[in-house]
Amino acid sequence: MTRVRILRNDGSKQWWQEYDVEPRKGSTVLDLLLNIRETHDHTLAFRHSCQMGSCGSCGMVINGKPSLACQTRIADLKSEPLFNDTIRIEPLYSYPVIKDLVVDLDDFVNKHKSIKPYIIRKNPEELEEAPMEFRVTPAENLNFIQFDYCIMCGLCVAACPTVSLDPQFTGPQALAQAYRYIADPRDEGFNERQSILDTSHGVWRCHFAGSCSYVCPKGVDPAKAIQLLKREILKRKFVRGKAGASVAVVVQPEKSISNAPKAPPLDFKMEADQHE
Amino acid sequence: MNKRYKSGLFNSLNPTRYNLERWSYTLHRITGVILALFLIAHIFEIYHVTLGIAGWNQTMEELSNLGVIELIGMWIIAGSALYHGANGLRLILNEVFGLLLGKPRLPEYPYSPLSLGRNQKIAIYTITLIVVALWIWAGLYLLAGLGIVRW
Repeated sequence: MTRVRILRNDGSKQWWQEYDVEPRKGSTVLDLLLNIRETHDHTLAFRHSCQMGSCGSCGMVINGKPSLACQTRIADLKSEPLFNDTIRIEPLYSYPVIKDLVVDLDDFVNKHKSIKPYIIRKNPEELEEAPMEFRVTPAENLNFIQFDYCIMCGLCVAACPTVSLDPQFTGPQALAQAYRYIADPRDEGFNERQSILDTSHGVWRCHFAGSCSYVCPKGVDPAKAIQLLKREILKRKFVRGKAGASVAVVVQPEKSISNAPKAPPLDFKMEADQHE
Repeated sequence: MNKRYKSGLFNSLNPTRYNLERWSYTLHRITGVILALFLIAHIFEIYHVTLGIAGWNQTMEELSNLGVIELIGMWIIAGSALYHGANGLRLILNEVFGLLLGKPRLPEYPYSPLSLGRNQKIAIYTITLIVVALWIWAGLYLLAGLGIVRW
């Protein structure tokens, strides 16, 4: 039998509630929570979806460490040196709590949106009607693919000591995504993002505690992205002397490939009976 | 909006359950605050120069009368300056030059972030060893100043 202590919250008050459950071999914390909700207390609220560490819904603090419930096995928790037969589950740190283990992610998502997490071109029409093929070589791809694995679970923000002190800090998730796009050779949006990143609540508020990378369940390493982002901003401000140049060399297919395929026109329609 | 759960100074400075770099971060912050307080106290101390030779001599005499308390205080300040300076150099390597972080790569399970990898650990342990050695030396130097240890 395993004792599970959960910090309950009904929006006005919070209290610890204990449940004794029998985990099966290979059970995860999410299995225990589902068991509790089915057999002990159907009022317990928590988010979950894929149950395989892909959706990032079941983020919570388990025994003091922000983790995904579906990726945390009971056997692993029991093998930890300081484990005292109780699994302590809390909502994610530094987020407002809606109910029990469900936290409000509005601020998190808004910060993600604020860094413009999409490809920006100097000529916006290129996004509607691409004049050429925008190529990314495998070597260039390695500069940012690691940061593309983010599933927006929010664990890095819960672990970050700076977010804990400064609610306006952009946060490790958004900053890592900013670097992901800045390092992309197809992107030309450095100047647009600089006003958000190069501020006292932006990239310079990070003091490299590394907890974001430590708790990341997908190996994204946001701490590395943020330090590389700092280096990139300094390089563009002081070394290159002008902002706006890309991190990697942009391959211009229209110059290197004479017969580069053109994008289809906007009113292009597939005719279903074309081949009949 | 509801209040943010467990945010604030204590949570920010609590490194338990986290990585070595988080402990380093906590120590860096605490030593930084100690140095800031020392700087304020030091400015207050040298302000007594404006009181003339007699006033300055009296201040120096009062400070020297503190004895062991001054010794411990100076030792803590020396340790703070050593750690904050040495760790600051590591952070400059990380943040300005992007060193000790490893190159971005395709994440492979089981994930182990390179920015918290071997290079970073070697840097932190080296810094700790050097700082502890110099801190012991500073302690002996201060004790010699009081005549407790022969230098």
